[in-house]
Amino acid sequence: MNNLVFGKYIPIDSIVHRLDPRAKIVALFVMIVAIFIPKSWWAYLFLAVCLLSIILLAKLKLGFIFKAFKPMMFMMVFLLIVNCLTLKTGYVLISIGTFAIYSDAVFNTLFIVVRLLLMIMLTTCLTATTKPLDLTLGIEYLLSPLKVFHFPAHEVAMMISIALRFIPTIIEETMRIMNSQKSRGVDFEEGKLKEKIQAILSLIVPLFSVAFERAYELADAMEARGYIPGADRTRYRNLEFTFKDGLLILLSFIVLALMILSRIYL
Amino acid sequence: MAIRFKKLSYIYDEGMPYAHTALDDIDLDITEGKITAIIGETGSGKSTMVEHINALLLPSKGELEVLDHTIVAGKKNKGLKLLRKEVGLVFQFSEYQLFEETILKDVAFGPKNFGDDDATAIKKAKEALKLVGINESMYETSPLDLSGGQKRRVAIAGILAINPSVLVLDEPTAGLDPKGSKEMIDLFISLNKDYGKTIIIVSHDNEMVYNYADETVLVAGGKIIYHGDTLKLFNDETLIKEHHLLEPQIVTFKNQLKKQGFKVSDDIRTLKDLAKAITKEIRK
Repeated sequence: MNNLVFGKYIPIDSIVHRLDPRAKIVALFVMIVAIFIPKSWWAYLFLAVCLLSIILLAKLKLGFIFKAFKPMMFMMVFLLIVNCLTLKTGYVLISIGTFAIYSDAVFNTLFIVVRLLLMIMLTTCLTATTKPLDLTLGIEYLLSPLKVFHFPAHEVAMMISIALRFIPTIIEETMRIMNSQKSRGVDFEEGKLKEKIQAILSLIVPLFSVAFERAYELADAMEARGYIPGADRTRYRNLEFTFKDGLLILLSFIVLALMILSRIYL
Repeated sequence: MAIRFKKLSYIYDEGMPYAHTALDDIDLDITEGKITAIIGETGSGKSTMVEHINALLLPSKGELEVLDHTIVAGKKNKGLKLLRKEVGLVFQFSEYQLFEETILKDVAFGPKNFGDDDATAIKKAKEALKLVGINESMYETSPLDLSGGQKRRVAIAGILAINPSVLVLDEPTAGLDPKGSKEMIDLFISLNKDYGKTIIIVSHDNEMVYNYADETVLVAGGKIIYHGDTLKLFNDETLIKEHHLLEPQIVTFKNQLKKQGFKVSDDIRTLKDLAKAITKEIRK
């Protein structure tokens, strides 16, 4: 359970860590759009270099980023198989009997894989360098213009931050219940399908009951302290938008423009 | 010897920069057929010790003997499930382990996992529920509808139904009202005296430990500070001061009497003993 990398915050100090979360979120979206535009490998090489320099600036370890790829491996292999079976354009790469693998299948998959990898790199950069609470604060600021359309920006941000706050608690709770059930002879690793379903059930039911109990308790505690959804309130910490943050957004738009140009001219 | 720790160490997140040694080269023999209490401050390593006895944690270094099983650090250990049948572990806030539709089914879950057929499991479950004092009329209710104290009893019954010869309890009375915890303790004493089970209790309640535990293990900083007779520990003023132990009221009272020139012996365990000793001294 401790191997979860995707979405984990790494508490170190770097120039990327100190950037305004709003700027980072905006830049993330612009860059994600940029990732999906180009059709040439040169453009992707350029993007990869950009991302690597961000990772270096953020003082993150490359191994940490690569660990985040692991859960995607299965999906990528699956994608390759499906593409090989369905796409029959381009020239034949390998043919075994009547079955042939076409170049488009492989190249299309490669494109998707590269795009996905770059996207994971990017999002990992964001979550590893931004505290979850800062992240939700940023989201709240960015959503607040939607208040004109009665969009509950604050409530949504509150929900996200509560959800993030309870992830470690729920993991701890899961470990505890697993241990209790192991003491009662449940085997989570081995056994027949029926036994496995029973084992999972013995974990899920108590977990849900605990989660609901915690939710009620939290709601009571918030109410007892006078929490009113949507009420105007001041903040303990205000976000400050600096020159560096503006620069980050500008750079991300430059990258986007370059990608659009590459699509046209390359 | 029921349980023997041999030079056992346990390190959380071994090899990581934030590794933490929870148990540091521990040697300990817990005697069969006795009530042994494990005390110590939060984070001293009590729970880590207890989870070893049930093989939920495996030692990083050293060896552990539990009944006729031996667990050696770094080796592939087999038969852990058999070990868990013989050592029942009741967790802190054990009520969270309940999940079946009815109380009876939930208590029968353990025995079934250890290979009993339905009829035998139900029979064992009924016996265990009787022991913890849950009425037959409640067998078909959902365990999630019970009060906190009742849930705790059902959870303990769930372990008792497996019929382990060693029963390990982590803070079994935490959060129960005084009457509920008294009944719990009476149950553990009866399991020890009438059924010959080895009982190991992790507790913060020194009054209870002083009254009922034959032997006490004091843990601090992942090391065993004291293991032996309970009365001796709580009458050792330097140990009590050094480890900030809360002195049982009876010991405090007895020490006050001694200061005033009363002659009372150190082996007074309960209020009754104390009263007897005082009357004897006054009648002289």
